[in-house]
Amino acid sequence: MKEQDNMPTSRLGRTGKFLKTGAKLGGNYLKYYSKRLVSDAEKANADLQEENASDIYETLSQLKGSALKVAQMMSLDQGLLPSAYTNKFAQAQYSAPPLSYPLVVKTFKASLGEGPGTLFDAFEQSATAAASIGQVHKATKGEKTFAVKIQYPGVADSISSDLKIVKPIVGAMFNIRSSEMDHYLQEVEARLLEETDYELELKRSKEISEACSSIQGLIFPEYYAELSGKRVLTMDWLSGKHLDDYLASAPSQEERNRAGQILWDFYDHQIHTLRQVHADPHPGNFLFREDGSLGVIDFGCVKQLPEAFYALYFQLMQPALAKDEATFSALLYKLDFLLKTDKTEEVTHFTQIYSEVLELLGRPFFSTYFDFSDQDYFAEIYALSDLYNNDKMLRKAKAARGPRDAIYLNRTYFGLYSILNKLGAKINTHSALPLKNLQQA
Amino acid sequence: METIDTETRENDVQERIIKAYIDYVLMHGEEPASVYAFCKELDISESAFYAHFNDFGQIAEDFWVKQFTDTLDALRKDAEFEAFTVREKLLSLYYAFFEQVKVHRSFAVMSFKESIASLKRENRNLSKMKKEYKFWVKHLISEGLNEGEIAGRSRLTDTYDELFWIQFLFLLNFWKNDRSKNFERTDAAIEKTVNLSFDLIEKNALDSAVDFGKFIFQNR
Repeated sequence: MKEQDNMPTSRLGRTGKFLKTGAKLGGNYLKYYSKRLVSDAEKANADLQEENASDIYETLSQLKGSALKVAQMMSLDQGLLPSAYTNKFAQAQYSAPPLSYPLVVKTFKASLGEGPGTLFDAFEQSATAAASIGQVHKATKGEKTFAVKIQYPGVADSISSDLKIVKPIVGAMFNIRSSEMDHYLQEVEARLLEETDYELELKRSKEISEACSSIQGLIFPEYYAELSGKRVLTMDWLSGKHLDDYLASAPSQEERNRAGQILWDFYDHQIHTLRQVHADPHPGNFLFREDGSLGVIDFGCVKQLPEAFYALYFQLMQPALAKDEATFSALLYKLDFLLKTDKTEEVTHFTQIYSEVLELLGRPFFSTYFDFSDQDYFAEIYALSDLYNNDKMLRKAKAARGPRDAIYLNRTYFGLYSILNKLGAKINTHSALPLKNLQQA
Repeated sequence: METIDTETRENDVQERIIKAYIDYVLMHGEEPASVYAFCKELDISESAFYAHFNDFGQIAEDFWVKQFTDTLDALRKDAEFEAFTVREKLLSLYYAFFEQVKVHRSFAVMSFKESIASLKRENRNLSKMKKEYKFWVKHLISEGLNEGEIAGRSRLTDTYDELFWIQFLFLLNFWKNDRSKNFERTDAAIEKTVNLSFDLIEKNALDSAVDFGKFIFQNR
């Protein structure tokens, strides 16, 4: 891995980066207006979106860490996903220069009182992979091979300062008043902070892997408390391929269906039965194994779904609701999709949009089988979010909509759908969620 | 045998003086009124004090030297250390050093009377440690030159020990102002500065450019 030499560390340095982007965005708009004078408006707008997306992405990817995550989350949550942004953000991941071995040793000593040389028979000095906020080393002891995750120093400390900086720029990107963003940012901050606590991750990994042990074909690594600490997490080394490598090995439709089905069952069980969910369905967290089973790693980001929220939110999914306008609109108010301050014409307009969104996102649930390779379906999703993004009324309203508990849930479904799409899997979308009138048909 | 015994006892006295002095300064926020008063409290003779130090200032100097040499001793005991690359050795030194001084942080911060960041007026308390550090780092540099980890650049190479000292001062100052939990920011600073310095002094584009320049010059 290449060492990175120009990450701006001080707050001032980072703010400077944002100012530079601001200036660049300004330049893009200038280009946009001049282009509009000479060419057609639609083309100019697409160019502008593209350029903005890549400039914003460029800046955020230099910042790494939490700033990038926030922008990613907001864009998902607010449905503001012009395809240009989606493509760029899909690449988004933490990446940082690898830790030196002496720092790895220091982290070990601080967390466990001993260096890796004493704790393991063999410990590879250079990292095998970058994890979300740390890196992974391979180690062996006796017969066993381990994956040891080590967290970068200072991650927890930089989160809140990162969020403070990112607030105005994200607000500007999505046209949301910064006072409106507070409750969103609190939610994101809470999850990010949890992610830095490896002791919590160990506890949750054990809980969820136990609770999901009944699902056929799902494999979890064993976690070792005695070899883990605040910033060190030791688990079994799982073999298997990442999504792209797996697809490159040309698995049959049947194999892909099977892998996808395991994934679907895993998520459905978590959301509708356990009410806590591995909220980071990033392709890097799944291993497609030789024997057709699916390995799940990294429980850093887990979202607990509060009972009250769960009950309200999934009522929206009931197909009968489409015919019952009064109940539907009452629900939208309860979930903050509609606000008391909205004008009558806004209420009608937004209700229309939300019912379309819900029909679209709920569609896989409404038939016994759903084919996720259906590009038309995904094109519809993107088209709708483009529409949503360019909706004048919505942008003028300057408010963040929807419940904060939904942020990570939406992200989970979005991640799940896009992995299933990549797999091109046809899934039996049975669910522990009872859907009246339809599933039976 | 006897000489060793006396030596140990002498070292004991020296350590007791350092300990008592640190304690006094931290409790009172200033130096003891006089060597006489200090010795009386410690129940040693003034001559015993002067056998080790000329004045109080020297105690702080010795404190820093001790931190540094203790760090080195601990590192040398670690079997892994010898096998490290030069870059890793320097990283290890910094991590171990800041771990070591963490225990005495209050006194350490207090002994930076003048800002150690102002490079011109270097803190007197650090002057003895500077000698030790430079001696050690010079060895490290020549090891790096022999192993090919550091590019030889004739007279420029001779300034590296001083540059590394400035790096060390920067880190000390960073640590002094570090408010992060467990001084994790200092860890990050160590990582980044050491990596930067080695990226600069190892064989890189600069050397190829100079080499090419020489070639062109000789073949005019």
